[in-house]
Amino acid sequence: MRPAQESIDISRDLVSLLPRLRRFALTLTRDGLQADDLVQAICERATGRHPVWNGHGRLDDALYILARTLQDEAGGRKRVAAADPRGGTASSGGAAGGDAVQQMMITMSEGLASAFLLVAVEQRNYRDAGQILGLAPDVVAQKLVAARLRLATMAADTTERRA
Amino acid sequence: MQHTKSPSIEARLSAYLDGEADENERREIDQLLARDAEARRLLERLKQGSAFGASGFEAILHDPVPLSLARRIRQGTDINPKQERVVGAPRRQRRKLWRGAVAASCGMLLIGGSTGYLIGRTVDDNAPQAPIVKARTWLDDVTDAHRVYARQPRHLVEVTAENDEEIRNWLTASTGVSFTVPDLTANKLVFQGARLLVAAGKPTAQLLFKDEDGEVYAVCFQRSATTDDSGRMTESMRDDLALVSWNEPGAAYVVVGPSATANFKDLADAIADVM
Repeated sequence: MRPAQESIDISRDLVSLLPRLRRFALTLTRDGLQADDLVQAICERATGRHPVWNGHGRLDDALYILARTLQDEAGGRKRVAAADPRGGTASSGGAAGGDAVQQMMITMSEGLASAFLLVAVEQRNYRDAGQILGLAPDVVAQKLVAARLRLATMAADTTERRA
Repeated sequence: MQHTKSPSIEARLSAYLDGEADENERREIDQLLARDAEARRLLERLKQGSAFGASGFEAILHDPVPLSLARRIRQGTDINPKQERVVGAPRRQRRKLWRGAVAASCGMLLIGGSTGYLIGRTVDDNAPQAPIVKARTWLDDVTDAHRVYARQPRHLVEVTAENDEEIRNWLTASTGVSFTVPDLTANKLVFQGARLLVAAGKPTAQLLFKDEDGEVYAVCFQRSATTDDSGRMTESMRDDLALVSWNEPGAAYVVVGPSATANFKDLADAIADVM
């Protein structure tokens, strides 16, 4: 039997999910500063009085939906200007391409990076990704195609610059 | 051939890559790929985009999460977004308010004036200029060692945990610091064994533990000339690692672990109690 909603302590899980949560927030906001604020708003809401997860389904899905909802509430629907590629520090990670690649990915057209992350990186199906993003599965599919083609172009450009 | 340029083929191939195509569709696409070089090229392009994006997103995942934020969440306290930020993310400049600009100008004027005054009083044109190099501390060396050895799962330690008496005798003799291996089973950490490091030119003991997820934690200590017995703990972060360090008379200690650990300070407290 599942515990009552009030007794579900997600704090520990929330901490372990923070890096992924932050990454998803970055795809939604396409701005590091706003992503930080969004992550903190999610944590406040998730550890507040009103539970955001009832113990059914995936906690990360519930948090992602909350992230998208909060971003919408915060005026995320308005067009965000492309992030300044020179702005701030990016990642300490050094996987192929590094900071410049990350900057390019988060400056892709709205919604492409989020859809790509959920399906191609985190292995969700189109239906689950659509539920998180508030989109129909076929729209998710379209965004994935656009994201992949855009990323392939970036990969080719990066290879050319290195050559 | 001409079909492969259409968006529908791109969408079908993308769905094929994602496992969203049903059996009939997969069979059709397999046949298409077998006979159509352009379709194969397009599939490779989509794969290339996926691989490139996945590696970039993987790098973002390794950005550090602030220890203080993780602890606040773990403890369920309110988070002040003005004070706590997730570090490592690319940031865009925000517009400053005019009052901030005025205050900054006044501050700069004050700092510039006083600095110029001090320079005027102290500069000796004949004295050679000392190079400005930030000195490495023992914590820098310990952090670097942790990064290297934590990624050696099969060779994590020099002496394994079963030889605890040997570890005690060896490291006490090598470092000049007597100690007890802390029992951290209550914190779900299992002792793996120990290494001897060199940090800031001194022999340094490194006791290594693993949690149930395989994350590596280290307790390091070395002899120190400090007489500080305040036990005051200092928290710091180095990329994805958190450090809590403190001094006891004659020895310096540090606990190193993943920055996302929620109860890291509590863990350091528990270790400091028994060391």
